[in-house]
Amino acid sequence: MKIFEIREAFLQAFDSLKSNRMRSFLASLGVIIGISFVLLMGWVLSGLDKAMSDSFKMMGVDVMYVDKFDWAGGKSWKDVRNRPNITLRQAEKLIESLTDVELAVPVARKWQTEIKFAGNTYNGITSQGTYYQFGFTPGGTIEDGRFFTQNEDQFNSNVVCLGYKVAETIFPKGDAVGKEIKIEGRKFLVVGVIKKQGTTFFDFLDNIVYMPLSTFMKTFGKFRRTFSIAVKAGSVENLDNARAEVEGKMRIVRNLAPGEENDFSINETKAFEAQVATIRAIVWSVGIGMTLLSFIVGIIGIVNVMFVSIFERTREIGIRKALGAKKRIILMQIVFEAMILSFLGAVLSFIFTSLIAYLTGTIVIQYVPEVSFLSPYMPLDLLLISSVISIIVGIISGLIPAIRASNFEPVIALRYE
Amino acid sequence: MNNQKLILTEHLSKIYKMESTIVAALQDINISIDYNEYVSIMGPSGSGKTTLMSILGCLDSPSSGSFYLDGVDVSGLDDDDLAVIRNHKIGFVFQTFNLMPRANCIKNVELPLIYAGVPADERHERAIKALQNVGLGDRMYHKPTELSGGQRQRVAIARALVNNPSLIFADEPTGNLDTKTGEEIMKLFADLWRNGNSIILVTHEEDIAKHAKRIIKLRDGLVIDDNINPTPIYI
Ligand SMILES: Nc1ncnc2c1ncn2[C@@H]1O[C@H](COP(=O)(O)OP(=O)(O)OP(=O)(O)O)[C@@H](O)[C@H]1O
Ligand SMILES: [Mg+2]
Repeated sequence: MKIFEIREAFLQAFDSLKSNRMRSFLASLGVIIGISFVLLMGWVLSGLDKAMSDSFKMMGVDVMYVDKFDWAGGKSWKDVRNRPNITLRQAEKLIESLTDVELAVPVARKWQTEIKFAGNTYNGITSQGTYYQFGFTPGGTIEDGRFFTQNEDQFNSNVVCLGYKVAETIFPKGDAVGKEIKIEGRKFLVVGVIKKQGTTFFDFLDNIVYMPLSTFMKTFGKFRRTFSIAVKAGSVENLDNARAEVEGKMRIVRNLAPGEENDFSINETKAFEAQVATIRAIVWSVGIGMTLLSFIVGIIGIVNVMFVSIFERTREIGIRKALGAKKRIILMQIVFEAMILSFLGAVLSFIFTSLIAYLTGTIVIQYVPEVSFLSPYMPLDLLLISSVISIIVGIISGLIPAIRASNFEPVIALRYE
Repeated sequence: MNNQKLILTEHLSKIYKMESTIVAALQDINISIDYNEYVSIMGPSGSGKTTLMSILGCLDSPSSGSFYLDGVDVSGLDDDDLAVIRNHKIGFVFQTFNLMPRANCIKNVELPLIYAGVPADERHERAIKALQNVGLGDRMYHKPTELSGGQRQRVAIARALVNNPSLIFADEPTGNLDTKTGEEIMKLFADLWRNGNSIILVTHEEDIAKHAKRIIKLRDGLVIDDNINPTPIYI
């Protein structure tokens, strides 16, 4: 195989495609659809991935929550529900006994609380009561104003920090700090707004208000309530260590006999990741299945058109052979034709899907903020992967017609009418 | 070998086997052609002229017998070797011109050079020269559809000559041309012969055959006559 042969075969292939543009386009339609599928799917998934990992980072990758409930859903709901509540005493006992962690604070939650401001009522907001130290965890990082202080903590002041989404909803102008709102009928002073934690998919993280624990219990009652303990390990390296300590100490606090199963869960952002990984895998496999299907259609389309094309050009191919073209030159020419078809299909898909991505990221986003997790650009590695795929598809679909054509007898130059 | 022939066949035959019938297109052909001969192969339709030419031109292989081209036993060669021989030693001129319809004249003439691996610049120059030699210097960028029949056949002749083959085959080269244009093409062949080429002309017309210096007559796949033409036209 010589370089000039490859180049010439390529040029000849290009020439013959140019002379039949419409058919070439139709032939690559299957590939266009297939590659567009791959690109759009990859685009959505990579947006999701980034959104999630951003959220995890915000929540703190070195943070774990000791809780009655298992966030990852790994345990049966019945077992979990029958666990005894974690009392404030138990939470405080655990916190006191921990030595290998940076920070540990109790957290109490009340789902679906009601907030009123300026005559409007806002529902579905989670209220959390905690200690001022929560302000030192990534989940308590302040965007505006401040977190509540140790003093406010001790004197159960009616102060509150709003999650990003809560602030955005009630105070779209961004002037939340200093305002007075009503939670469950009681007046609260807004002292701060928490930095945005989640994205579209995790906006529950931003739909929370934080108040001192004492205030929380005054507002929502202190009995028959389960607490969780937010533990910050200090570093990712210390996670295993901290987890082991938390588990051991919590078993003591809960009076568990050796061999008895834990009646609490240690939840980490990692638990989410595992769950999300399953969703990803499902999306991928469905997507891959559809993609494969459309590629099979794409391959059949190209094979078909290539067969029509070589039989239509039987005479031309015979003449080429009569003039001295070797088998492999004809073979390469036909394979290149299929390859170029397929690759151009991929290029059209890039343009098409990039347009979709760009329009989504710049215009659609203004009307449908939920799409904000999507990037306005196609990830480059996806473009690369799909060009490679398209070239492989082209070669596969060109091969059989090409072998056929390369075996045409040169004598048809004399005979074929 | 000082008495080596350009073409030598021994008991050459070609049999087409069909579903029900067997056609003996050529039977026991023994001919020998020297370098720089001008031979016409003549015979009625179906006599086997095209079949003989396709074998002598290395486009097809015989069913039996042997064939030496330039002293080489062609029956022992594979497809790609034959492609190289066609490319370097043989030029074809067809009744239906057989040009690439979408390519312009230069591109058409360049084709054998492409397969010979000649670099692009040289290819271009040689194609231009070949087209000038057949009187088409002013039509080089036309496509075949923009040319008359005679002009198309000239392009085909330029293509046949561009790689300097020693042997030119022409199958009914004037078959699709009017008499006057046909005569011009025949003059061109006479020039080629004078320049040292060997020419094998296939035709069923006596008038055309008479341009050659030797006439081989075929009937039903057999050579029935092989004689010198004492009065070749234009020679
Ligand atoms: N591919 C083929 N399969 C079967 N029979 C064939 C084939 N090619 C040629 N023949 C037969 O071989 C015989 C010789 O054909 P050939 O084409 O050589 O004749 P010809 O002398 O060139 O005729 P014409 O003047 O009409 O071109 C004919 O009987 C023809 O039918
Ligand atoms: Mg014939």
